[in-house]
Amino acid sequence: MESLQFTQGIVNAILLSGTLTLVAIGFSIVWGILNIINLAHGAFLMVGAYITYWLFTLYGVDPFLSLPISMAIMFLVGYAVQRYLINLVIRAPLLVTFLLTFAMEIVIINLATFFWKGDLRSVTPDYAGLGFTLGNVQIPYVRLAAFIISLILTGLLHVFMTYTKTGNAIRATGMDIDAARLQGVRIPQTYALTYALGTALAAGAGTLISISFPIDPTMGGAYTLRAFVICVLGGLGSIPGVMLGALLFSFIEVFSGIWFPSLKDAIALLVLVLVLIVRPSGIAGKAFYH
Amino acid sequence: MSKRLLILLALLLIAAMALAACGGGKATQAPAQEKPAAEQKTEQAAPSGGGEECKVVFGAAVSLTGKYAKEGEYVKNGYELYVEEINKAGGIPVGDKKCKVELKIYDDESNADRSAQLVEKLITEDKVTFLLGPYGSGNTFATTAIAEKYKVPMVEANGAATKIFNRGFKYSFAVLSPAPNYLRGIIDMALDKDPNLKTVAIVIENGAFALEVAQGAKDYAEEKGLEVVYFDKYAKAAKDVSSLITAMKSKNPDIVLGAGHLQDTILVMKQSKDLGLSPKVFGFSVGPTSPEFRKALGKDADYVVGAAQWTPELKYQSDDIFGTPQHFTELYKAKYGEIPPYQAAESAAALIAYQKAIEAAGSLDKDKVRDALAALDYDSFYGKLKFNEQGMNVYKPMAVMQNYTDGNLYTVWPKEAAVKEFLYPFVPWDQR
Repeated sequence: MESLQFTQGIVNAILLSGTLTLVAIGFSIVWGILNIINLAHGAFLMVGAYITYWLFTLYGVDPFLSLPISMAIMFLVGYAVQRYLINLVIRAPLLVTFLLTFAMEIVIINLATFFWKGDLRSVTPDYAGLGFTLGNVQIPYVRLAAFIISLILTGLLHVFMTYTKTGNAIRATGMDIDAARLQGVRIPQTYALTYALGTALAAGAGTLISISFPIDPTMGGAYTLRAFVICVLGGLGSIPGVMLGALLFSFIEVFSGIWFPSLKDAIALLVLVLVLIVRPSGIAGKAFYH
Repeated sequence: MSKRLLILLALLLIAAMALAACGGGKATQAPAQEKPAAEQKTEQAAPSGGGEECKVVFGAAVSLTGKYAKEGEYVKNGYELYVEEINKAGGIPVGDKKCKVELKIYDDESNADRSAQLVEKLITEDKVTFLLGPYGSGNTFATTAIAEKYKVPMVEANGAATKIFNRGFKYSFAVLSPAPNYLRGIIDMALDKDPNLKTVAIVIENGAFALEVAQGAKDYAEEKGLEVVYFDKYAKAAKDVSSLITAMKSKNPDIVLGAGHLQDTILVMKQSKDLGLSPKVFGFSVGPTSPEFRKALGKDADYVVGAAQWTPELKYQSDDIFGTPQHFTELYKAKYGEIPPYQAAESAAALIAYQKAIEAAGSLDKDKVRDALAALDYDSFYGKLKFNEQGMNVYKPMAVMQNYTDGNLYTVWPKEAAVKEFLYPFVPWDQR
């Protein structure tokens, strides 16, 4: 029976890594391109989760169908927030943007607590909890679907960044802002677009998370932290790096949860510290932020 | 510079509000919180001579938001139902007059530090006459220390951890049975049904109450010859316990016991279904006995048993304002539209304990009432109200309720109070 624990753990970790990739990738591009450690990332994720919750509860919208809606809404919000708020201090030292996103996080969480109350809520479509067995390993449909959707979104982002002009402009801005400007890239718009993408990806992750796990206004912090650890593990600036980081992190989280449940969070952060000591640039890729 | 900062802040607020609005804020209803300031204008009034109106103010910090919001709501309902009924009857008799009862409740956001702050505020600023407890052992542990510091009695109904009472406090009393007893009834009942059960797995919320529940259950299970094959904790704010479920499943236990509260109990059930964990008995310390459990899980709540401090079907008789569990249930249903969970009953019972102590003392003096509480021995609609020298009610037994396949909750243990037979075994997820 011990082997069941092992195989089920592997499956759990792989499924989890999909969602965590999505959580971390938005965080990673904002960090890599705008040089902002976006502490409000988890708060946007939470809002995305609540959009799905309300659409489901009030109008019976299937949570998977609400994915584009929550991403589109949060894309616009993200664009506006960067263009008219963060952009005001984008030239200021790192600490100022850090503080600004921290304040945004607090404001959003407090407003959410005020309007929606602090209760735990769940999105419960009929198919929640259903699954199939492979050998003796249990695979819930919802988590499998979340995994596949995460991979598709990650793939789309990769295509966008590599093969479109706008995507290239974003990457160019991240590599050398002055050179990009000389080439005619409009920096403010590019920044806003990048931030909007990051926010939309956070909201998408929030939607997928809300289907498998209970949500509440303070849920985001834990995901911001995970995104941070994954970015450090995987190194900034590469999508495969983030995927690798997320996979590694998921295995650590799942198996420390099986073997030492009370120390789960401590172990995950211990790994972060170790990576920072041994390989500050992350396991894959190299840091290209300043 | 500061002007720019101000503009920035204003923008920030607007942006965040816009965010909240497009998230569907209109769907929410006003929170159940009452504005205590509105209903309470003056400070306490000791029963003084003359025609002055007499009034007793009970203060409490209760979780109305956060993790324990649902349980906290039940607590508040229990307090309010008592206050409504006693005021209908004219109030609490003190000496030869009757004092109207008022309640002042703050939201502690399911946070122990906040709870302690608010209780201090209730004592020093609002000058309440007596204190009632918050929800949960952690918050009770924190607030009883404040009550002790100011020598104001606190009769609490929702903190069952014995560590609350191991500090030699003189002003804290609990009407509920202590935490280590919670899961014993379930173990007894399971073994009574099937003596061949061999193994138990216990999952635990990492908090004061649940840790004591779990240790009590483990000791008792081992005493009864069961083997405890799994015993581990998850974080208090856990939103994913699939790793623990996976580990438990590999041990294939006959009985799975959960020590925790409503929200994590629901989480354990959901993820057990996700991962196909199907023991013969599923039992929890807190959760299955509240209406919210059925609402959250639907048919998946079937067969699950939960420990209960009190059930609507118990056969107590009393001369208190509620008389019997059945009459309490009727009143509660009329006011709140659902069967009362035990948290509501025990919370109302805390006020009954106060009433009887105040009547015995014939005074609202804090020390006289404290002494009367210590000497109290009264049979209420909730069961015996009597405190040992530590302030715990060790005289009242625990019951077990089961979520039946017809969608209702029934008392299934102890046998003399059972209205239905214990449905056994739990039907595995893949055979439903």
